[in-house]
This record gives sequence, structure tokens and C-alpha cells, in this order.
Amino acid sequence: MKKENHSSVRYGMVIDLRRCIGCHSCSVACKNENEVPLGVWRSWVKQIERGTYPQVRKFFLPLLCNNCERPICTTVCPVIATYKREDGIVHIDPHRCIGCRYCMAACPYGVRYINPIKNIAQKCEFCLHLVEKGIQPSCVAACPNSARVFGNLKDPYSEVSKLLALNPFQVVKPEMNTEPRVFYIGGLDITSIETVGEGMK
Amino acid sequence: MDVNLLYTIYNGETFGIMIATYFYLTGLSAGSFILSTLAYGFGIERYKPLGKIGVILATLLLVIAPLFLLLHVGKPFRSWELFVYLNPTSPITWGSYLLTLYPINCIIYGFFMFRGNLKLTKIFGFIGIPLAISVHGYTGFILSFGKARILWNSPIMPLLFLVSAMVSGIALMILVCVIKDKYFSKEKEIKKALVFDLAGILGWVIVFDLFLVICDVSVLFVSHREAFAVGNLLLTGAFSFWFVGVETLLGKIIPLVIIFYPRTRTVTALIFACILVVVGIYAMRCNVVIGGEFLPLL
Repeated sequence: MKKENHSSVRYGMVIDLRRCIGCHSCSVACKNENEVPLGVWRSWVKQIERGTYPQVRKFFLPLLCNNCERPICTTVCPVIATYKREDGIVHIDPHRCIGCRYCMAACPYGVRYINPIKNIAQKCEFCLHLVEKGIQPSCVAACPNSARVFGNLKDPYSEVSKLLALNPFQVVKPEMNTEPRVFYIGGLDITSIETVGEGMK
Repeated sequence: MDVNLLYTIYNGETFGIMIATYFYLTGLSAGSFILSTLAYGFGIERYKPLGKIGVILATLLLVIAPLFLLLHVGKPFRSWELFVYLNPTSPITWGSYLLTLYPINCIIYGFFMFRGNLKLTKIFGFIGIPLAISVHGYTGFILSFGKARILWNSPIMPLLFLVSAMVSGIALMILVCVIKDKYFSKEKEIKKALVFDLAGILGWVIVFDLFLVICDVSVLFVSHREAFAVGNLLLTGAFSFWFVGVETLLGKIIPLVIIFYPRTRTVTALIFACILVVVGIYAMRCNVVIGGEFLPLL
């Protein structure tokens, strides 16, 4: 069924957790660029603290849509409003989405939300409108420490490819078999951050 | 070492009480339809009184059920797209056709039944059985395909939904039969033999349902981290009252005792048991849908 993908572009993001200072610039830039309404977020920074006083340290995990290689949201969308583009970005057609929330229910990363004004599902799309014009996503541009790097994973000379070739990396919830295309370098083991706060709402 | 959460985001509920109610109504509808075909499809004479009530209930409930879907979706006026842009891997796409075909078949089946054309009634009854099973089975698939949540993402879910649909369908049928015989029939008298007969079936279906729930929940405790968290949520956490108290104890154990213990097996007690079952299955739908998505993902 699946078409052979001959595209020479596959966008992805690398986030260096050693550089993240938890300033939330990315979250704010994202809200600003994409006009994300109050109460919902496309990108945010989860913060945890480890240790007992006085030996305490904060850790940060910036989260956003992973634009997976095998996305579950496209499998379950009943009207094919959400689909994976040739360049790998998982896009939501705002004119087709019926707001059934099935994609939100199926997404293991909880990155989708219902826009309370438009009543359709939305999520991070790597700032598609900017990327198509050759501009970096707003969170990447806003990051003061260059912790976020965006680029073409299929180009071996791009910065993301070099970072992934030279560093050990992790993804969020690899057991979900979604093959995320947002990679994390350095920092804590992601599972230990992602599980904190379970049982709270 | 202490580990504390300082900040994270929760983007809001996905399914919720609307979807739980929708699942409940389709379950009741499928259950009533299958009971109705016992007489007119399989030709079991003693269930003849159920035939007409069953088909009316099945049709009515299935007309109400999609209204909850329309209330749930953000863009109800775009729902025509469900019939035009098809995604074969999405259970909702299957469902949009099932939800159209099944009530139409119910109406045709009922039409021939009231006309007294038994041959055609039988044919449409047999067409309706797989439709009724699919129209409720697919709702189980909706949850099964919800990969993010371990309580939903389980192959037992469609079967569990079908069996609980039978449970609630039979219980509702007993209640409606009793009300109809008591107030709207010429004799003004409850057909006791039929009630006891149906209650016997109800008892065994509840036993099977209980077995499936035990399978589902017990495995959560020996599976991975998230599964364990959901299992604890149901048995000891925020949903323990609704799961252990309402769904299991009130909705299954007490009705089972009333049905199988000879001294409590009276018509009044059975009616009480049926009310408990109908409420208990609603609690089950809410527990599965809302409890399943209660824990934050990240």
C-alpha cells in the first residue's frame, strides 16, 4: 500500500539536553509563531528535580511532536486529515480534520491538542510554513544555547546527521515502535524523566 | 533519591463521558438486537415476546448513539467527510459505514417482523447478527488501536466489549419486558418464566464477563510500568470506587448472587439485579474510557 519514498529530504530535530537551561524560550516562540491558544501547547519543557537537599539538580526535557516515521495518528485518522508528507513532516489538514480526537487518544506522546477556537486537532509541524521557505523552526531560532538543531536527516553533511553520527542519542518511548525523528543527545536517561509524575494529573 | 515533577503540560482529555455513553448505547443496541433474533432468526419459540421489543430498542438506541458522537467531535458539520475520505486502517472509518448499515437493517428487519413476513424477517435477522457484532466490536477496536494507553491497547478489548454488550442488553431487555407486561399489556401480569429464563442466561454471560475482566486486569499487574500504574489506579487509586465498588461489586457480584442463590431468585430481586447490571456496565464503559486515559503520558 505504502508508496516508495524517493524524497531526498527527511526533516528531523536533535536536542542537546546538556545545553538546555530550561528557559522555555522554545515554548514561548512556538506559541507566538503558531498562534497556539491559551491552555494548550505544541512544545514545552518538562522539568524535574532529583536528589535531596542540599544535593539537588534540575533536569529538563523539551517535548514536541516527534513527527514519527511510523506515526500511529495517521493510522487511526478516519478522514486522512493527518498524513506524513514526503519530507517526513506529519501534517494535519486544517480544512479536513473533524476534531474526533482519535489521533490525540492514540498518540503516545500527548503532543496533540484540540484548538479551542477552531475545534480541530493541532500539533507541532516543525513550523512547516517557515521550513518551506527555508527558515528554521521558531523554537530552533529562539533557543539561546543552540540546544535545538533542525535539518535534513538524509543529507549526511547536515548538522543533525553529523550530531547523530558522532553522539549516542535517545528518543522518547522507543518501545512504541513509532520511530521518532526528534533525537536527544546527552542528559539523563529519558525514561527516568518521562516517568516522573505518573499518577498525577 | 528524591525525584519530583516540577513542570509539565497536559493537553486535555481526548475521549470522555460522551464516547463512554456512545459505547454504552451501541452495546445496549447490539445486545437487544441479538436477543431479538433468538426468536425470529433462530426460531426459539419461548423468546417470541422479545422479538419486537428487541428490534425497537435496538433501532432507537442506535439512532440516539451517534448523536453523542456529533456532540463529541469538534466539527460536526464535517462528518460527511467520514463517508468520502476513507482510511482503511482506521476503526472510525469502518464504524461510519457500520453505523449507517446497521440501523437501516434494523428498520427493515423490524418492518417485516411487524408485517408478519417471517421468512424475510429471518433473512434480515441473520444479516443483522454480524452487523450487530461488528457495530459493537468495532468500538472495542477503536480503543484497541489507541496505542498510547495500555488499558485500551489490548487484544481482549473487542471481546470484552461484546460480552459486556450482551450483559447490558439482556438486563435492559428484562427490565423493558417487565415494564411492558406490567403496565402496557392486556393481562397486566409479568411473564415469570421468561424473566427467570433470561436471568439464567444473564447470569452465565456475567460470569464470562467477569472472567474477561479478571484476565484483563490481572495481566496489568505483571506487565510493564505503565500497565502496573493503570492496574493500581483501578484497584486502589482514584478509580477504585467506580471499578471495584460500582462496576464489579454492584454491577456483577451482587447480581450474580441474586440470580444464582435460590432464596433471592424472585422477580422483584431480579429486577433490582438488572438495574444494578445496567448501571454497572455504564460504570464499566466510563472506567475503561476515562480511566484508560487518566494517567498523563509525559
